[in-house]
Amino acid sequence: MQQGWLSNWLVKHEVVHRSLGFDHRGIETLQIKAEDWDSIAVILYVYGYNYLRSQCAYDVAPGGSLASVYHLTRIQYGIDNPEEVCIKVFAQKDNPRIPSVFWIWRSSDFQERESFDMVGISYDNHPRLKRILMPESWIGWPLRKDYITPNFYEIQDAH
Amino acid sequence: AQDQQQQVKEEEEEAAVENLPPPPQEEEQRRERKTRRQGPAQPLPVQPLAESKNMSREYGGQWLSCTTRHIRIYAAYINPETNAFDQTQMDKLTLLLDPTDEFVWTDETCQKVYDEFQDLVDHYEGAELSEYTLRLIGSDLEHFIRKLLYDGEIKYNMMSRVLNFSMGKPRIKFNSSQIPDVK
Repeated sequence: MQQGWLSNWLVKHEVVHRSLGFDHRGIETLQIKAEDWDSIAVILYVYGYNYLRSQCAYDVAPGGSLASVYHLTRIQYGIDNPEEVCIKVFAQKDNPRIPSVFWIWRSSDFQERESFDMVGISYDNHPRLKRILMPESWIGWPLRKDYITPNFYEIQDAH
Repeated sequence: AQDQQQQVKEEEEEAAVENLPPPPQEEEQRRERKTRRQGPAQPLPVQPLAESKNMSREYGGQWLSCTTRHIRIYAAYINPETNAFDQTQMDKLTLLLDPTDEFVWTDETCQKVYDEFQDLVDHYEGAELSEYTLRLIGSDLEHFIRKLLYDGEIKYNMMSRVLNFSMGKPRIKFNSSQIPDVK
């Protein structure tokens, strides 16, 4: 697989990662282990990725792992095409713990709370990790593939 | 402390009920449930001196409830005459059945719903007292009411204020066995 220059840079600086190729816009995707993620996030921030464009999470497969995805951008003055990178961190479903990047990119606050709410990844060191969309007494993680919707009554056929 | 609360919660149950459309009269349904239920669910005794308590802002200004159109469950004691809402008695559940009078209720059909309510509360014994659990109970009761309607045991009250057939238009040659998701 072809490696991007960022991947090469990371290899040169002995940062453990795995390249997942490029997406349709040619942006490099890297997989990083959860235990390395807090230190590597600092490295990426120091390198210049000062903008967390989006953070999301998804359930990879039934019985598989959970993924937390970060889109990072390097914002500079006078730049037309800023450098971008996509980071994926995978966590096992039995103990889904990923370090929070809240203290590096503050915009991940609500996004990580939503990821926690929907797929149940618990972000270490997040200051107020609690449900954001569902009621706080909700049970289960609604966007996991093995989630079974409770048979709650809704108004079904009012006319 | 939480364990104790759950214990106490499941020990009693109360159902305050408005039924019978033209003069909406309320009926209290309450019962001690230390022993297994034999016979119909009974109401707990009326507390004529009950006052509204713990409803102010310093108590959060909110309450535990499950409210859908035909089922209102509150984790509190509600006096059927004065509507005093005593939130200190969270060991009781109060059921208001069909407050908007969408259906025509008789004593027997009301009793069926109360019995189902009692069974459900027994079934969820030990569960956490939360909105989620109350909503599970309330939804099961709504499905039960829907089943009663499909089986013709209750019918729409044509004099109700909002007549929108919220559980489906009246049909003939139809019963609950034709609906897969009805228990």
